[in-house]
Amino acid sequence: MDWFVLVLAGCSEVFGIAMMNRYKHKKGFLGILLIILGFSLSFFFLSYAMRTLPMGLTYAIWTGIGGAGAAILGIVLYGESKDLKRICFIMMIIISVIGLKISA
Amino acid sequence: MNIYWFSVLIATLFEVLWVIGLKYASSISEWIATIICIALTFVLMIFAQKKLPIGTTYTIFTGIGTIGTILVDVIFFGEELKAIKVFFILILILGVMGLKLVTTNNDIELEKGKL
Repeated sequence: MDWFVLVLAGCSEVFGIAMMNRYKHKKGFLGILLIILGFSLSFFFLSYAMRTLPMGLTYAIWTGIGGAGAAILGIVLYGESKDLKRICFIMMIIISVIGLKISA
Repeated sequence: MNIYWFSVLIATLFEVLWVIGLKYASSISEWIATIICIALTFVLMIFAQKKLPIGTTYTIFTGIGTIGTILVDVIFFGEELKAIKVFFILILILGVMGLKLVTTNNDIELEKGKL
């Protein structure tokens, strides 16, 4: 359950970043609200996951999911470069998160 | 060291502080302090971005932040470090830092909010 919430925290983070991107093209009160919603949820879920999981590990994974998620989102939605280096780094993050989960 | 890099370092310090807060805050005042640390991290990083190459800035910020959080966890809160865990966390940090470093300015638009 705590691991699931941690993944949710990472996803909320990515949602917040996506909403920031949306806001640049489409200004408005709703846009600001969605950004605040994304990041608030992210901090809320992160805090919940940390209640039971080790602090450093949880933070590292949250950063990883946020970074990899934002990059994947950029590649899929915004046509960002998908050169081999980026793909390798994304894979490194995903593999290490899975490794940490299995060894926990 | 100029004022912008100094901001990044101080932002990293606040980042570690709010992470500690998220885990250990128990009173209202501690939660308020945590929220203030989150806000200060954002403000300092936005300030630093005005003059610094963003990819490098975030790379350093993420690296120090993650390692700092784990060190605090081990030194002050008695968290155990298994070799296998250290190995995967290092791979993860390298992955995140590498990703931020190869992210070009064109891609940065999306990264603006990543703190």
